[in-house]
Amino acid sequence: MDLSLDESQQILVDTFAELLEQECPVSLVRECEKTGFSEALWSQYREMGANVMGLPESVDGLGMGLLELGLVAQRSGRVLAPVPFVETAVAGRLLAAIAPGDPLVARIAAGEAIVSLALPRPHAVTGTGSGRTGRALVPFGAVADAVVGIDAEGLFVAEDAGKRRGPRLRDAGSGALAWWSLQRGEGAAPRALATGDEARRAMARASAEWKLLTGFWLVGLAQRALEIGADYARERIQFGVPIGGFQAIAHPLAECAIRVDGAELLAQEAAWAEAEEPDRFEGLCSMAFAWAAQTALRTADVSLHTHGGYGFSEEYDIQLYYRRAAAVPGVAGGAREELQRVAELCLAPERAALGGA
Amino acid sequence: MDFRLGPKADEVRREIRTWLAANFSEEDRRRAHEDGGGHDWDLYRKLAAEGWVSAGWPVEMGGGGRDPYEILTLYWELCKAGFPWIGLLNNGFIGHTLMAMGTDHHREHFVPRIASGEIAFALGYSEPGSGSDVASCRTMATRDGDDWRINGQKMWTTTGHTAQYIFMLTRTATLDRPHKGLTVFLVPTDAEGVDVQPVHTMGGERSNAVYLSNVPVSDSARVGEVDKGWSVVRFALGLEQAMGYADLQERFLEDARRWALAEQADGGLPFDDPRVREQLGQTAIHTEVARLLRHRSTWLSAESRPLGGKGAMTKSFSGSSYLEDAQAWTQLVGSAGLLAEGEDGAVAGGAFEEAFRQTPVNTIYGGTVEILRSLVAEVELQLPKSR
Repeated sequence: MDLSLDESQQILVDTFAELLEQECPVSLVRECEKTGFSEALWSQYREMGANVMGLPESVDGLGMGLLELGLVAQRSGRVLAPVPFVETAVAGRLLAAIAPGDPLVARIAAGEAIVSLALPRPHAVTGTGSGRTGRALVPFGAVADAVVGIDAEGLFVAEDAGKRRGPRLRDAGSGALAWWSLQRGEGAAPRALATGDEARRAMARASAEWKLLTGFWLVGLAQRALEIGADYARERIQFGVPIGGFQAIAHPLAECAIRVDGAELLAQEAAWAEAEEPDRFEGLCSMAFAWAAQTALRTADVSLHTHGGYGFSEEYDIQLYYRRAAAVPGVAGGAREELQRVAELCLAPERAALGGA
Repeated sequence: MDFRLGPKADEVRREIRTWLAANFSEEDRRRAHEDGGGHDWDLYRKLAAEGWVSAGWPVEMGGGGRDPYEILTLYWELCKAGFPWIGLLNNGFIGHTLMAMGTDHHREHFVPRIASGEIAFALGYSEPGSGSDVASCRTMATRDGDDWRINGQKMWTTTGHTAQYIFMLTRTATLDRPHKGLTVFLVPTDAEGVDVQPVHTMGGERSNAVYLSNVPVSDSARVGEVDKGWSVVRFALGLEQAMGYADLQERFLEDARRWALAEQADGGLPFDDPRVREQLGQTAIHTEVARLLRHRSTWLSAESRPLGGKGAMTKSFSGSSYLEDAQAWTQLVGSAGLLAEGEDGAVAGGAFEEAFRQTPVNTIYGGTVEILRSLVAEVELQLPKSR
């Protein structure tokens, strides 16, 4: 057993921590509230090679594993970095695995294309999803040049963003969320990538990876939200003492600290399982995502309420964290939907519909 | 990173499962369950004969030199199987503590007899007026020539009716400085003036109250220096708090899963109900997180890294998440879920009903969740002391 990062992983974390401290102050996140995306920061990410980290070396990528990608996502989540790191990494890995010669792979490698995914499972309560209505809410859809999706005919990639891409939507804070029309009859025909079980397997895999990396992102969000709350509890004086000395303030924060540690371990275990326990990989990704989503919201909520009325004001940063803690996982259906997926993948894999992620 | 416990732990898992299959029958399990005392001498001595009682102690002390991952696996498998293992657990703690903080006399006189399964210890910290505030203990030890006399009362002395000794916290100086006037003794349960009375719990566990009136105790039974007992108890408590109940949570999840995937009388599967799937998913995640936190505590101790508040995190999360799940399932499954093991129509073999009764204690004994959260707040979040 070894629960520590190795030297190169630690260097990667430190490098991104340093970059983001300089290039992604909270003022940048606030400036990007309307667009959900910072071209300047994304260009810094590309300079660091972030767009090719997940691509295999055979297509000019850096061939990094999911743990390394997760560590970058976690640092990004800490500062709420408004860039499509997770989406580009997952879509790039999917395309490189199933269609390495597709021109989009080279464009991702060159830093010329942002590619996202239409997560496939229609939401059980609202029915939202590409499968039923032919249009999907796509994370970073407002800035994506292409979207990978799946329907009855198979896995495809839709470009022609000018015709398919809707405007950036005002939402709780998910990033540059937008509708994409994925009807085959509209715009330029989508490129077919795979059919049948191959298509379903590829999409299930990509969904798992998106959930895992988003889980890491949410762990970062939760860790920072906890720090913000604990800092405030140490400094804020009421009744003549720091409020962190009251158990009514300290205990909920402590409970969050415990859950956040668990969320980090779970995400790391899922990333590790990719190579070491592949049978558990997709189930652990689902767990990591659901738990990170629950934990991020709980932690941001406790931290917000530690601030009293200030937590509700736009001036304080914790509201930025609170909104994203629910909005980011909501794109994939949210934590409660995901719990059912956990049950299927972890406890009754024979009953889990392939690709119905 | 590597999340495996390793080949030695895997080997222990195989060994202990084989041993349980040969030595621990369904009838033994039911008897242990009905007795609720947490200790069975016949079974315990068979375990001791295989070297399992002292498996985690250093080889030079006559122990098995097993690493923390192997010991974790031993406890995990016994606990999951429903083996009455509290005696084993206590003796593991006490053996460790005596080796680390005891005298040569303790190491020669007690440690080998613990290892061989001859004697067992119960823990005597709590008192009627002294629960979370362990250091407020009022059971007095007073000098009687070179030796001592003990007067007072202990509570929650589980296995006190089967053990030969109680590892007992006493007060040897005034209460003015509560942490500084404490001393630990190994008190024989057959000594004159010791009266052990049963305390039954809604979880089916039998604990004890122990009354002590003018009990003579030799000075050689003292562990650590006079008035310095707090550090001895802190050491032993630290071993306990890093564990939690992930093994029991794993068994509970397996019971719930088995029930959810078994065809019911009407031909349907509970698993097809989204509420059941949602609760299964939540229980599976709680179990995995509890397991990971416990593995992390074990890894930290195997690597001799500081535990900080992470042992407290392990027990706090496990105790509270298991309780939450047990209550959630009880509220989900309705009337047949209220039936106990063996009753006609009991849901999941009574697993939900049993967990509902047993889990409240998990956030209480060995350090309440409230005490543990205060510790996490102070150590991990650097918040001011909150009590």
